[in-house]
Amino acid sequence: MNVLITPAMVGQVIISGILSGVLYAMVALGLALIFGVMRIINVAHGPLLMLGAYTTFFLYQGLGLNPYLSVPVSMLVLFGVGVLLERTLVFRVVDAPELSSLLLTFGISIALVNAAQLAFTSDLRSVEYLTGSWVIGAFAFSKPRVIAFVFAAGLTAAAFLFLTYTRLGKAIRATSQSREVAMVCGIDVNAIHRLTFGLASALAAAGGALIAVIVAIQPEMGQIWTFKSFLVIVLGGAGNYPGALLGGMLLGLVEQLASLFLTTQLSEVVAYVLLVLVLLVRPTGLLGGRQT
Amino acid sequence: VKRLAAVVLVVALAALVFYPAVGTGYGTRSVLQVFMWIALAGSWNLISGLTGYVSFGHVAFFGAGAYTAGILIVSSGWSWPLATAAGGVAAVVLALGIGWPCLRLKGPYFAIAMLGLNEVLRALVSYFEGLTGGGNGLSLPTLDATVPIYYAMGLTAVAVTVGARLIIGSRFGLRLMTIREDEVAAEALGIPTFRHKLLAFLLSAVGPGIAGALTARDQGYIEPLSVFPLATTITMIVMTLFGGKGTVWGPVLGAVVLFVAQEVVWARYPYVHPLLFGAIIIAVVLAMPRGVLGLLQSKYRLPRTI
Repeated sequence: MNVLITPAMVGQVIISGILSGVLYAMVALGLALIFGVMRIINVAHGPLLMLGAYTTFFLYQGLGLNPYLSVPVSMLVLFGVGVLLERTLVFRVVDAPELSSLLLTFGISIALVNAAQLAFTSDLRSVEYLTGSWVIGAFAFSKPRVIAFVFAAGLTAAAFLFLTYTRLGKAIRATSQSREVAMVCGIDVNAIHRLTFGLASALAAAGGALIAVIVAIQPEMGQIWTFKSFLVIVLGGAGNYPGALLGGMLLGLVEQLASLFLTTQLSEVVAYVLLVLVLLVRPTGLLGGRQT
Repeated sequence: VKRLAAVVLVVALAALVFYPAVGTGYGTRSVLQVFMWIALAGSWNLISGLTGYVSFGHVAFFGAGAYTAGILIVSSGWSWPLATAAGGVAAVVLALGIGWPCLRLKGPYFAIAMLGLNEVLRALVSYFEGLTGGGNGLSLPTLDATVPIYYAMGLTAVAVTVGARLIIGSRFGLRLMTIREDEVAAEALGIPTFRHKLLAFLLSAVGPGIAGALTARDQGYIEPLSVFPLATTITMIVMTLFGGKGTVWGPVLGAVVLFVAQEVVWARYPYVHPLLFGAIIIAVVLAMPRGVLGLLQSKYRLPRTI
């Protein structure tokens, strides 16, 4: 418990909060895309992130591949996994009641975690590639977190550019605004669903690859990310993609601030209280979102 | 047929009442477990099967009941029946705190809020070490009460099932199912949906709270990982889905069949167990969304309130 809180500590907390916030935003953007386009909350989003982390780990351990070079590889692999999941299972519940899609993705999530336990064991793995910090003045910047921040910011920006300016990105946004009208305009909605699921899985994989250098990798690392990603899109407003950025930053800052006053053990509790408060006060998100 | 079913039911209940007197310790314990699963699956069915609001964290109520009872027994020396009642009350209070903000909104918010609740309670229990023993767990004074707990758990299972029968046969139950089918239409019909959902949710918390308290007393030792496992939520979901969600006997059927299968077959392959459950969930959702009983209902003429 810290008794004395100096301005330098607050500054440090803000830096850490922003560094992890962009990572949250990137992963949550994937969840938000699937929710926006397919009206499905993908409970297996976190476990897909876990698979991304393992991909990076094995590439590093087996081939000695630089973990940052493996980010695109992980993304590509998980893009494939996502497309496969959509084509075989998820597409069947797109129009079903949400009970079905929630339960189905929950089943997928359990199966993925257990398959990972069987295939990779529950041993904690780590990619010991980069440690230490850059110190500038009174502040320390953890090296892997800064690099993760740069990657996440770049990928998030790329995703936004893609959604805003390319034909495919516009088709995705059109589908999320109205499936029927998109279909009438000649957009292959089923292909868009597959693409969206693949992209979202790739964003989760990027998150997994980047945190593989920072935290321990184990099969159950993913579930909490489903929850945090959801919290981020609730904070930002469901269906409001830029809102994810704000939500991610906010979650990062709140968690880090809470760690000043409480033990890190309770950071999930703080995030949870935040979720309940937002749902009570402003259920459409801080920026306001589209009603579902 | 109806009379035959009634006779079978009475005979089965009578057999279960006399079982502890003749059965082995292992057998009694196994039946006790089945009772627990019936109570848990039946309770999950009340909220998720009837209203369609999926609870991914129902084990939170189990754990809350277990810790409430455990703390009261250890710190305040309460007798276990009283502590069990307190466990049920604690679960309802927790459900009120979560349901109030989260049930105003549509399904996904509630589902994910419940998914997080479990982690949060586990973290809280570990944090308040003074009261809960933290990660070291909480040891209750030794007491051999397996037989009374057997009856208490059996009573809980019966109460949950009878409660489900009464609810499903009532206007309240019909309104809940209307919410499941189309909440906007239900609202338009003048059903105060929020109050109905909240009441169903509070009722669904009682069973797990009591079952958790009884399990804590029976096992004599609780720790965060043993009373808040995601696996328990998964199991009650699988049992209800398999038997038939939204039915009276579906959770009972699912609990008995899957528990026996678990003991006989899967206990030998503990590592693939969750994988199998995940696969069952996927298969049931895609292939027979209304479970075994739903399948039978559509093939034969069976009463709606089965």
